[in-house]
Amino acid sequence: MRLLWNRFRADRSAVFGAVVAGLLVLLAITAPLLTALEGQDTTSFHNDLVDSARGGVPLGGFGGISPQHWFGVEPQTGRDLFARIAEGAQVSLLVAICATLVEVLLGVAVGLLAGLSGKLVDALLSRVTDIAIAFPVTVFSLALLAIVPETFPRPLLVAVVIGVFGWGGTARITRAQALSLRTRDFVAAARLSGASGWRVARREILPGLAAPVITYGALLLPTNLIAEAGLSFLGVGVRPPTSSWGQMLSSATTWFRSDPVYVLLPAFMVFLTVLSFTLFGEGVRIALDPRSTRLSRKAA
Amino acid sequence: MTWTRSALLLTAGVLLGTTAACGGGTRTAGGAFDPNTCQGGTLRILNQKDAGSHLDPARLYTSGGGNIPSLLFRTLTTRNRAGGAEGAKVVPDLATDTGQANADATVWTYHLRDGLKFEDGTPITSQDVKYGIERSFAAELPGGAPYLHDWLVEAEDYQGPYKQPAGIPAIETPDARTIVFHLNSPHGDFPYLATATQFAPVPKAKDTGADYEKHPISSGPYKIDSYQKGKSLTLVRNENWSRQVDGNRLACPDRIEGSYGLDAAVINQRISTGSGEDANAVTTDTDLGPSELAQLDSNPELAKRVAKGGFPYTYYLAFDTTKAPFDNQKVREAFTYAVDRQSVVNAAGGSSLAYPATTFLPNNKSMGYQAFDYFPAGQNGDPAKAKQLLAEAGFPNGITVTLAHRSDNSNGDGPAIATAVQDAYKKAGITVNLQSVDAESYPQTVGNPATQPQVSIQGWGADWPSGGPFLVPIFDGRQYIASGGNFNTAHLNDPAVNAEIDQINKITDPAQAAQRWGALDAELGKKAVDVPLYHSTSLRLFGKNVRNAFVSDWTGVYDLSAVSVK
Repeated sequence: MRLLWNRFRADRSAVFGAVVAGLLVLLAITAPLLTALEGQDTTSFHNDLVDSARGGVPLGGFGGISPQHWFGVEPQTGRDLFARIAEGAQVSLLVAICATLVEVLLGVAVGLLAGLSGKLVDALLSRVTDIAIAFPVTVFSLALLAIVPETFPRPLLVAVVIGVFGWGGTARITRAQALSLRTRDFVAAARLSGASGWRVARREILPGLAAPVITYGALLLPTNLIAEAGLSFLGVGVRPPTSSWGQMLSSATTWFRSDPVYVLLPAFMVFLTVLSFTLFGEGVRIALDPRSTRLSRKAA
Repeated sequence: MTWTRSALLLTAGVLLGTTAACGGGTRTAGGAFDPNTCQGGTLRILNQKDAGSHLDPARLYTSGGGNIPSLLFRTLTTRNRAGGAEGAKVVPDLATDTGQANADATVWTYHLRDGLKFEDGTPITSQDVKYGIERSFAAELPGGAPYLHDWLVEAEDYQGPYKQPAGIPAIETPDARTIVFHLNSPHGDFPYLATATQFAPVPKAKDTGADYEKHPISSGPYKIDSYQKGKSLTLVRNENWSRQVDGNRLACPDRIEGSYGLDAAVINQRISTGSGEDANAVTTDTDLGPSELAQLDSNPELAKRVAKGGFPYTYYLAFDTTKAPFDNQKVREAFTYAVDRQSVVNAAGGSSLAYPATTFLPNNKSMGYQAFDYFPAGQNGDPAKAKQLLAEAGFPNGITVTLAHRSDNSNGDGPAIATAVQDAYKKAGITVNLQSVDAESYPQTVGNPATQPQVSIQGWGADWPSGGPFLVPIFDGRQYIASGGNFNTAHLNDPAVNAEIDQINKITDPAQAAQRWGALDAELGKKAVDVPLYHSTSLRLFGKNVRNAFVSDWTGVYDLSAVSVK
């Protein structure tokens, strides 16, 4: 474990990713607190801060940035952008994390079952996995999100929809790893000593899956964040007045000339989150990969 | 009267560029305009969509005959081609006057003027007008407004000339130049209806049924040179038309070329830049959006090329006044006091694209607009007064309601307006839960009393600029439709209101009728049967070479039969 930590720490970009990702999570967790500190909230309209005759463009430079409104205000409504970005962080990260969890749980379950069961079950589950990977996820999510009743909690729904269609990759990796682990001597030993299939899976195979699954999960997270932003951008994600970065980007697209700050803020947040989590995930992968150690030793 | 009315009207309005107006006045981009020397050049139309999904006079749903359709189809009457309130008047087109009515406005007689010809040179007769109307009853050619169907004596079961060649007995053509309509009830507004494209003549010999839209026979100043549905339309001069037989259309350009399928931002950018042929460009379906207004400030040349107007339109909060809590006048008043109209106007695009509504009728003379504000909430609402009224009504701890809105903002009844209302109501102790309804199914959801949401954002525009089509479908108790397609969302059925509507329908003088419609609106306003939110207006660009782009109160946009590119 210490070795892992040392190797991770030596990777500067991974540390940067971890720190930024940590700060983003902190922003999401403390969003209501920070917004209260700023003295604003996410839904209050400020008619006095926008120029009504000019289409509602924020008064003042840089999208109306001021000591009262740290990130300026939204055009037309005058709602505080810092509060909405922070709330968006909550929504975006929560959806991305939940979707990743769903994907990992489903993927590991299917992958393990396929890898450790007989040929017939394996063949069947592998084909199902192929279908899950080949499925046109965006099109299907659009259709599904449009027909589910409004009363269903929206962020949860988006997380489940992304998760339920994204487990294919995890399942494939888990199956491959399980297939290779089941032929090892220690697994055979456990089998011969009379351990049940369930016990073998849980005690012998599962620990060996940790490294690839954690790595893959860390890389899935930014993908899922983009998926949520995409669905909200298309208008089927979270609903107003709740904000999300994708939704903000969607309404900001026409404002790029008259209020660039409004477009750049959510775009930068998505960029920063995806970058930091990807760097973090890469760092974890390299730290956990025994081959990369040999390479780096050679290089050293 | 079907549920598609407002949807179709809006579509027709937007598509045909008949959307329209409260501003007005002449705006030209260059020197003095002279109608006698305006002929020549090619006018270009840059549009998002085709000029009506079907270019068949039977299938078009227009206000005042449409903008592009009116270049091809002349009708018994038409809208006056003038700016401002003058443009909201009906004038004769094919006919010699706007119609002679009998004493109770149930029989309307028209005489055609001399020298009228189709594009192929055959004379236009009253039988051609009658045939055009009968075609619009055919199930094969749906899409037109339902008025003729409802108003003509015993015509509701008529199947169209293909199945019933005998025609409609309620339309008589005693000679080639006379046509008489028999109505089942008084309709002083009949001259307004006669501006619709269903009143355009169609030569029976050239009728190809559903294929007629590929090349409809022109009675107007232009005829079709080429037409690719959804892509392009090229019009050239109709040599059998002249200004001698048409006092309304100037028809300045020699040629008109339309391109469809363009993106809104691209259209505005191309007209704004105006390079090459785009200097001659106009659009009949693309307004400036709120985010595009700031550039008008920094570019005075561009600011001169903006037509200001707006198709008269009202957005309001609708609720069922027969159901609790909205059966209580105090609750309805509280909802009116609590609304922050400045927020609502900003959410609708700001003061250049909307103005606050305290009346149901928009601020248009022809509608009979009378200013009133019985529950003065000021610009930003009066939450204290609203709270007090709610307490008196038995809700001292506030009230929770569900507010339905369309899932997107493109129709002015979407989440932007809903969140503005929600935020203002919070201050008055009214908790609003938003219900987003899919854009396509929103009209059906609201128009069916079984699925009608508790509160919903509604928009309404009239098929012609009179108080009747603005008020009757919304407030006439006999227009309530329990099976769906209902616009009387207040479920109002007040015998006094119904009786007054019947009385006004008998009036054939538009000015006199307008005055009564305005008074009726004020009476309804006292009952707080809805919460008026805002009236929309619009800004539309035209090319550098485009002249005489005046805006009427009827359409709210410039008129293609009047503009010049020379």
